[in-house]
Formats: sequence, C-alpha cells, structure tokens
Amino acid sequence: MSDVPVRYVSEEDLTDRVPVSVVWEITLACDLACQHCGSRAGRRRRDELTTAEALDLIEQMAELGTREVALIGGEAYLRKDWIQLIEAVRANGMECGIQTGGRNLSDEKVAKAAAAGLQGVGVSIDGLREVHDEIRGVPGSFDRALEALRRVSAHGIVASVNTQINRRSMPQLREIMDVIIEAGATNWQLALTVAMGNAADHPELLLQPWELLELMPLLAELAEDGRKRGLFLQPANNIGYFGPHEAAIRNVLDEELHWIGCTAGDGVMGIEADGTIKSCPGLPSPYAGGSVRDRSLRDIWENADPLAFTRRRTVDDLWGYCRTCYYAEVCMAGCTWTAHALFGRPGNNPMCHYRALEMDRQGLRERLVKIKDATGLPFDHGEFEIVVEPVPEAPPPPRRIPDRILVNG
Amino acid sequence: MAEKGRVGQGLRLCRSCRQFVLPGESLCRFCGGDLDALEAEHSARQVTLRRAVDALKEALLGRPH
Repeated sequence: MSDVPVRYVSEEDLTDRVPVSVVWEITLACDLACQHCGSRAGRRRRDELTTAEALDLIEQMAELGTREVALIGGEAYLRKDWIQLIEAVRANGMECGIQTGGRNLSDEKVAKAAAAGLQGVGVSIDGLREVHDEIRGVPGSFDRALEALRRVSAHGIVASVNTQINRRSMPQLREIMDVIIEAGATNWQLALTVAMGNAADHPELLLQPWELLELMPLLAELAEDGRKRGLFLQPANNIGYFGPHEAAIRNVLDEELHWIGCTAGDGVMGIEADGTIKSCPGLPSPYAGGSVRDRSLRDIWENADPLAFTRRRTVDDLWGYCRTCYYAEVCMAGCTWTAHALFGRPGNNPMCHYRALEMDRQGLRERLVKIKDATGLPFDHGEFEIVVEPVPEAPPPPRRIPDRILVNG
Repeated sequence: MAEKGRVGQGLRLCRSCRQFVLPGESLCRFCGGDLDALEAEHSARQVTLRRAVDALKEALLGRPH
C-alpha cells in the first residue's frame, strides 16, 4: 500500500484532469459568525440539494475518479443527513473528511461519524482564546473547538487544524502550534485570510504583502519544529511562492516539491450546497460551471468554460508584476482566488514572498488599499489597489537610559 | 476528454541556497552556485548517508555488514 496520501495530485492526474479532491459545501447553515467567512455562511441556502440529489452526486464523483471528499459548510454537521453522506462517500470507495468550527461537534456526533467511516476532521482554530472567539464571533468557541479536536483524536480519526493567517493570528502562530499539538492534532493547514465575503468588510484583518517577509521564515521554522513533534504543516495554495523557504514549507513528501501553479479545475473541484460546480470552493460566481440539477457532473467538469481557466491561462494573461516575474511560466500568479478577491480578476497576486523580497531589495513595498466595498453576498469581494511605496525607515532605537547618572561634585 | 490539464514546469533546487531556479540554468541566479557541481556533491552525500544508515540498522540488529 502506498504511503502517499490519496489527495496527492500526480502529473498523470493533472494531465487526465482527474478531480482528485472535491471540496463540497453541503450546507451554508452555520453556528458561528466568522469575520473572515468568504461565503458569509449563517442561514442555509433555500435550494440546497436534497438527500437523493446529494447521493447521486456522490456516485458521479466516484465515476470521475475522485479519491477524497471534504465536506464543509457553513457547518457540515448542521445538515441532517451528513452522516448518510459520509457513509455514501465511503461506500463509493472515496476517503471522507469534514472541516468544522467544532462548536457543537458533540461526542455523540463524532462517534456516529466515525462509525460511518469518517477518516479526518479539520477543526478551525484561528488564534488563542480571545482572538479566536472574537474572529469566530462566538464567546467560548475556542474552548469548544479544542474539545472537539480532543474528541476527534480520541475516536481515532485523523485530527487536523485549519488556521487562518491574518494580522490577529499571525503573532500567535507559535503558541497555537503548542496548543494544538497538546490537543492531538497531527496536521496543520494554514491559509492566508482572503479578502472575500466577510473578510472584505474587515481589511484591517488582512496581511499586507510585506508582512510575508516575516511570515515565511516563521512558517519554515514552524514546519521544521512541527515535524519533529509529529505535526505536519500544510500550506494552502495561497501561501507562497518560491523564495528561500519554498522547499522547507512545502516539504511534506519531497524537498524538491514546489508550487506548480493553481490546479483548480484540473485536480480540484468545488461544489456549492445548491449543486453549483466550480473549480475551487472559494471562487466567486463568474467561475461557476453549471449546476448538477441541469447537467451531469461529468459534462460540467469536462466541458464548462468557467472551469478551464487554469489549463488555458498563459503568461500573456498575467498582468502587473506577475507578468514579468522570473517564475511567471510556472507560477501563473499563484492563487486565483486570492487575486480575484483583491482585483476582480486573476493574473496578478501581490501576496507572494518572492515578489515581496524583490520589492524589498529595491527598498520598496506594496500596500493594498481598499477602494470599493463588497456588496454583502456570499463569495463577493470588494476591490483593492496596489500602492508601491518606499520601505519606511526603521524607527531609531530607544535612547539608552544610563544605569546611573553621574553628577559632578 | 480532449483537453488535457496543465502540468506546471518542474524547477531545479539549488542545493546551496535552497531556492528554485528554471531548469535551463547552469548557475543559480540567487547565490551563483554551480548547479551541476552542487547536485553531484549532494548526491554523493546522500549515498554516504544511506550507507551509514544501513550500517547502523545492521549494527542494531546485531548483524555484521
């Protein structure tokens, strides 16, 4: 049996366009109120798939060669048939995990999910108690999330943590790592908070590009430390790109692994609770390829133009700094979701370590300034512009106060 | 399926500064290192390391190597 996780997307998978990983929002209902939520989850969608439609969709995923299904929300366990969906995913030969805020993931729920064959649970922890509770919008949610993590681990399910990196959580990453290792986590997925949905209303949360100069060495350090302590750090697709720490932070299987560009629509598929098919779960409506209520999943996956942007994109489609970057041909401007949320179109992504280093070498930095608000709908975004400015001079060191003052006489 | 997916070009890891460079490069654009020479040194170190690990395993199992 191979040690390679099923979610690993091989070159052959990409060439053949196998949707290896499907991230499926099974409901938009949620019991938290997160400041960064891209889908602005809370109430369920009026037209979410019925159980029969969802079960049929699972069979269609298996026919396309999907190997792993991640059930997300909203909050996945708020859908009444979530256990039945886990059973169906497993019965169709695919691995199944859920992502959760963990607020009401009781021991009974975990036991039922484990019995249904659930293999992995990712619990969101976005800071230490005060920061997490504030970001998640519910007092006590940090403690509930940690309890959920411990329960998952106790039931023998792979316990993972997802953490949003933003201005509130970044200073706490090292302490968060200690807490989640103690609670039994073995995987830690980190993602930059993207300016979509609720996060677009909170620009003060978002990292500025130059802050990657501090973040990336920290992540490399945490990745190495985590490995020694049994925690594998997994950078999401919006963390990168290249620079001196690329090998260290992406070193899960092989130190020669590096970012190869967005694989949305080639190896990854996103599904909304109403059956809308996208190439990546975070992308907004222009990227919707159609609904499984109107067309088969295979037809959408193979033929829908909005899902084809990754394989059709060329360097000529890039703009701004990314167009002339040394890595342009490989990178293709990093995460499409991140770029689109900032500028309303892909192809230029300032949230890049190599780019920040090159700017810094010239004494410059890029600052993102919001110029347009989001409309308030799920997966919406505002608009930002890039201001290139000189790196401010470091403040002078504080004046040294002498230990004792010598007084003549 | 007629249309194939995109497979990103593989880059070369500089064994000195650990930055990735385009496959056609002979010198690292970041540290100036000779990429072929560095790769050869790295491969030799890996062979030595593997031999040492094998010897250690044999010793721990009480077998001569």
